[in-house]
Amino acid sequence: MQFLLFNFLSPALGLLFQAATNGRFATAWEKAQHPDLSKFLIIGALLFIIGVAGVLTRRNIIVIFMSIELILNAANLNFIAMSRYLQDTGNVNAVAGQIFAVFVIVVAAAEAAIGLGIVIALYRNKETIWVDEIDILKW
Amino acid sequence: MILTGWEAVFFWVFSIAAIFAALLTVMARNTIHSALFLISSLVSVSALFILLRAEFIAGVQILVYVGGVMVLFLFVIMLVNVGSEERGSEEIFNHPRQVTTSVIFCALLVGGLLYAINVGYEGLQKRDETAVTVAAGQRTADEQNLPEAATGSSRITKETERVGSGLYRYGSLPFEIASVLLLVAIIGSVMLARTLKQEAAVDDTAPEILQREAQHDPEIAKLQSTIAQ
Repeated sequence: MQFLLFNFLSPALGLLFQAATNGRFATAWEKAQHPDLSKFLIIGALLFIIGVAGVLTRRNIIVIFMSIELILNAANLNFIAMSRYLQDTGNVNAVAGQIFAVFVIVVAAAEAAIGLGIVIALYRNKETIWVDEIDILKW
Repeated sequence: MILTGWEAVFFWVFSIAAIFAALLTVMARNTIHSALFLISSLVSVSALFILLRAEFIAGVQILVYVGGVMVLFLFVIMLVNVGSEERGSEEIFNHPRQVTTSVIFCALLVGGLLYAINVGYEGLQKRDETAVTVAAGQRTADEQNLPEAATGSSRITKETERVGSGLYRYGSLPFEIASVLLLVAIIGSVMLARTLKQEAAVDDTAPEILQREAQHDPEIAKLQSTIAQ
């Protein structure tokens, strides 16, 4: 605990203090009060990464499907944010992003239906939902 | 597109909620909890859609994702639930080495994406500086002309109308293709989820498999004999 406190926490606090005195915090606070397109893109990127991490690390095939839904949803967030940005730069009919988001939702629904059908068939034949135990194609 | 005042507060509330719910979706031990956290993440993202003035997509997101897809997920979880996950007897993540590699990969991806967004957004700002200020004035003038809602606190936008006309004007062919895709998905999932008995009843099974299964299932043996006639 003491090791953590002195070797990690105090330099971090020192850095934070330095940033605060340099006025970097003030500009960050100023920016945080007025979120713009880049904030939405960052949130979309983080959701995407969390989805990718879920697909790569989980063993449960249903959770993997849910992570894919997260990825598609992050893509939707980017589409909508870009569509709004284009409208705000004077392109009044820039609703293509929203139209695309509708199609992404349609494809996600179709993918979920097919994927869960595969899960049901797999569970009936192999009695498992762990992806590392499903290896009939491996030899 | 710069949010101010309460919109900024709600932006931070809902984006932090979306990210934490997404993290818990990936990390929850119980699959049902995963699904419920995913639902809260999707609802938070639809709130972000409302902040982006995309009310139609927000409604579709809640109706289709939360009302349709997630209910389907919950049904399937309850159908195949093995229970060993919650009891703690099964590892929920892959082997530690695979997890380490993928976490390193994701960290690199985060760094790359955030760098790309920052650089790209600076370029965009430089390009669109004048267009944004001109369009902002135009937009506030346009919003004054919109009809007022019954409560008097807001105005009724024409966003949904524009999405609808855009969908039928520019996206009518993809729209029809999407309907065919949904039909294929329905038929495909029905075909995939049939039991062997149902497959045998419509004579849709390979004879060898039928022969093998008939040895320890009397009902399939009966079906086999009716097919043979």
